[in-house]
Amino acid sequence: MNMRTPLLSALTIALVTSLAAAHGERDRDRPKIEPQIEAPGGALLNFAAPSPGTYTLPILKHATDGDVLTIDGTATRLHAVFGNRIVLLSLIYTSCSDARGCPLALLVLQQVQRRLNTQPGMPDRVRLISLSFDPVRDKPAVMSRYGAGFTGTDPDWRFLTTASETKLAPILSRYGQSIVKEKDENGVFLGTFSHVLRLFLIDSSRRIRNIYSAGFLHADTLINDIKTLTLEEVGATAAPSSLQGAGDDKTGYDSSTYQTRTRSLQNRKGQVADLNALAKQRPLGLPAIPVPADNPLTPEKIELGRKLFFDRRLSLNNTFSCAMCHIPEQGFTSNELATAVGVEGRTVRRNTPTLYNVAYMDALFHDGRETTLEHQIWGPLLAKNEMANPSIGFLIEKLKGMSDYDGLFEDAFDGRPPTIETIGMAIASYERALISAASPYDHWYYGEQDNALSDSAKRGYRLFAGKARCSACHVIGMNDALFTDNRLHNTGVGYTASMYKTPATRKLTVAPGVFIEFDGQVVADASETPPNDLGRYEITQDPADRWKYKTPSLRNVSLTAPYMHNGSLPTLRAVVEFYNRGGIPNEGLDPLLGKLGLSDSEIDDLVAFLGSLTGDNVDVLVSDAFAAPIGDVGR
Amino acid sequence: MRVSKPYRSAFGTITAITLVTALSSVAILKPSLALADETCMSPYMAKIVGQEDYVYVWTLGTVGVGDEQDKLVTIDVNPNSTNYGRVIHSLSVGGRNEAHHSGFTDDRRYLWAAGLDTSKIFIFDVHSNPAKPKIHKIVTDFVAKSDGVVGPHTTYALPGRMMVTGLSNNKDHGGRTALVEYTNEGEYVATHWMPTDEKPQGAKKSGQFADGYGYDVRVLPRRNVMITSSFTGWNNYMADLGKLMGDQEAMKRFGNTVVVWDLHARKPKKILDVPGAPLEIRCAWGPLHNYCFTTTALTSKIWLIYEDDNQQWQAMEVADIGDPTQLPLPVDISISADDKTLWVDTWNDGKTRLFDISDPFAPKQVYEEKIGGQVNMLSQSWDGKRVYFTSSLLANWDKKQGEDLQFFKAYAWDGKKLSPKFSVDFTAEKLGRPHQMRFGSHALYGQAHPNLGTGVAQRTR
Repeated sequence: MNMRTPLLSALTIALVTSLAAAHGERDRDRPKIEPQIEAPGGALLNFAAPSPGTYTLPILKHATDGDVLTIDGTATRLHAVFGNRIVLLSLIYTSCSDARGCPLALLVLQQVQRRLNTQPGMPDRVRLISLSFDPVRDKPAVMSRYGAGFTGTDPDWRFLTTASETKLAPILSRYGQSIVKEKDENGVFLGTFSHVLRLFLIDSSRRIRNIYSAGFLHADTLINDIKTLTLEEVGATAAPSSLQGAGDDKTGYDSSTYQTRTRSLQNRKGQVADLNALAKQRPLGLPAIPVPADNPLTPEKIELGRKLFFDRRLSLNNTFSCAMCHIPEQGFTSNELATAVGVEGRTVRRNTPTLYNVAYMDALFHDGRETTLEHQIWGPLLAKNEMANPSIGFLIEKLKGMSDYDGLFEDAFDGRPPTIETIGMAIASYERALISAASPYDHWYYGEQDNALSDSAKRGYRLFAGKARCSACHVIGMNDALFTDNRLHNTGVGYTASMYKTPATRKLTVAPGVFIEFDGQVVADASETPPNDLGRYEITQDPADRWKYKTPSLRNVSLTAPYMHNGSLPTLRAVVEFYNRGGIPNEGLDPLLGKLGLSDSEIDDLVAFLGSLTGDNVDVLVSDAFAAPIGDVGR
Repeated sequence: MRVSKPYRSAFGTITAITLVTALSSVAILKPSLALADETCMSPYMAKIVGQEDYVYVWTLGTVGVGDEQDKLVTIDVNPNSTNYGRVIHSLSVGGRNEAHHSGFTDDRRYLWAAGLDTSKIFIFDVHSNPAKPKIHKIVTDFVAKSDGVVGPHTTYALPGRMMVTGLSNNKDHGGRTALVEYTNEGEYVATHWMPTDEKPQGAKKSGQFADGYGYDVRVLPRRNVMITSSFTGWNNYMADLGKLMGDQEAMKRFGNTVVVWDLHARKPKKILDVPGAPLEIRCAWGPLHNYCFTTTALTSKIWLIYEDDNQQWQAMEVADIGDPTQLPLPVDISISADDKTLWVDTWNDGKTRLFDISDPFAPKQVYEEKIGGQVNMLSQSWDGKRVYFTSSLLANWDKKQGEDLQFFKAYAWDGKKLSPKFSVDFTAEKLGRPHQMRFGSHALYGQAHPNLGTGVAQRTR
């Protein structure tokens, strides 16, 4: 059997519920399609249709106009027939015999007409329209006979056709109705059309609000959709959410009693702050920010820098902004990853550092290799495993081509366009303005407010500056405190990662409170070789600098978990316990480290102290960040 | 607690009978043995019940392989074709977008193929010439239009529109996300956010979790129900698998929920706890079978999502898949149209397993076969006699070393065993990594097959 001309009659029909009999051999070989769902329209609906007004019907598209003929042959426009009513438009042809097709549409529309007839206010607001897509045979007189039983009652029901297939084609195209003439083996038109049944609900502003096909057509849902359109109102917006912390809070995930406390992204909205003014006010506990002479802070530069910071188009494939790793509500770092992930999922070796108070840092990156923010910014922009821009010029030209940046650089930089310099200066200005202090600790220590700090935190401070020797590196000054010495140290964390053997098995979290002891070999083939990390040595090539990393500031430290340069410690308590053990012995271990002999309650006090270092304006900075536009393709 | 089972009824519903008698002109009902497949397709969509002509394979571009771009690869699978078993067309789309899933519009004229990384959606015209799909439109502003949804995954046909599930968002690249609705023409319609604790949108949190994560979507129109599952955000699905599994924070960020929605109103109704990353959802077809299956990737279990006697939707763990401690990682599943069997692919051990699900509350494994070094997607023909497999999971999760890793394989299934028919080595052919398969046919669009061989045996079955 040659199948050069597949039979199209198979394209029609067949209720899926009636497919009991076996195929003939011939039928089985014949390619064909069948619908897969029973048509509910002829029977009782199997569920209660959602109540009118409890849901919204989004605007799908404009219901376009077209040339049509009425039953008396008058040429008119589709929109003229719509009037200003809610319209149910059904596309049919009169000789259609498909049980799931046009007769079904006729039946359901008849039910809609009968039921709306008795409902107050409805008959005058609704119009039913059946439009033929078979203009050759469905002349106006044919349509008139077809609709004879349904006209003359309310809601009004109009039967339309078109003058020709040429007049019809644009209507079908705009409404997305595909029809295929069914032909026999010799290519002769059988008089039937293969089509997906379509009915359109159109509001009084001529916008399509729902599309129905056989599997989805029922008078109950149709009537409630019509009523929903008549009841339309915009819903109220929800209350703002809390600002700090990952919106997807997984605290306690190790326990089988874990419960989600997930925040809504829809509520992640904020208010623009005057960052320029904030940055110029020296907050309690911090010195004035150092600002390069050639890049003074201005509102224009900060605003432009902020726009760039949140613009995902500043990457090779438009997926990465600075803020994808420096997430505002996650302490301008990432609480959700130990080490970062860059463009195309490429591995980044280190934990994202926070940007709070980055203005005060003399050395940037965990290995301290950059010296100014203006320069540092190009590191992530060009790193293949971060934002992966292929070149400086590529990014400059790309920015010049983005219309939403028209004039912004010129306004901020005295007429200068995007350049290697101005891009760095703008982003640096925003980051420099993320100043945060005046924490409870600052109010207690520098503001001399005795009640600003809990007793536990006060004890923690005394340990911090005394027995625990933290302040040897996390420096506290007489008038202010950066909580960093801006220097690099070997604590053994990096040494461990490079030199310790990988354990054969490890504990893998597979669900809240559910773990498996997991043989690393099981997924070894699917894993890259973990990249090594030698710290400062990679910059200086001096063996003495192996596994040295920069001392981070501790301001806002409770917002920036997980900790250490590789995010290997999940909590502040784990960090204090690590230092209590004296770090990890290795040849280059910093001599400042040693066993501390802290008791459990002393560890608690230190953690309480670290928790008192959160600045008083973090909500302002985060809210301002939430208000920033996120740059994506098309916006 | 076990409630009474949804029970089986052979054929025929009140709906059908009423409809038939209500209409004066009744169409001829095509006799047909509704045995299987395209069982993962939208119920609103027409399907191929005879021999499919082509399999369209949405293929991930791979660094160092061919032109390194994502592409739609067309394989001729009609045994009567002169090109049987060959790649007959390959259409590169530009870039690596983390090609993943694809789905037809309800009229089956367009194939929507999404990229989880760049969030682009490539809309292919498959009706003008089913042997040579062409780009019809590329949606590049999915993220901007949807108010920040990242990672379009399932592209699922609803009447006249497409429901697209997201996996992530542009705020933190985590797992909170939404469903995004489009018209068939590729115009944005609406964003339906997954329910969260802060904004449940009327949904009842039935257990401990309301994570707001997304993955797959399926519908049961006769119950006005839409069901979604939950995977993980961009940070995790894009990361190297070994790095991810070593990151304690990242491993906390997998979905633990299935959400039951009011399909018509697009409102979430109930959030069910299904811990361990429930992925693909496949709903039963029997007219009284008000249940769906899903499998959890991390905990390696089959879960039943079902409506109980009180019309309440529930989730129940019903079977283990392989040895969960060895991380088999169940991925694609496929239900037979008679609701009697469920294929389950496990990516890590490269096996497919067949479960007898006659009793949906007690699936039993009845068959197992190693397909390759890894295996992900499977698609079966209408009659269940042809089963196709592809290998790729995610760019940075796929195995980097090992044998027989990137393939398309065609098998015959005789009810007892799988027999290999042909395979295509996607690395040797310089194509990349094959992911989701969709079937194409000339007959869908009233076209004759251009390459049916005259001397080829017509029936080999």
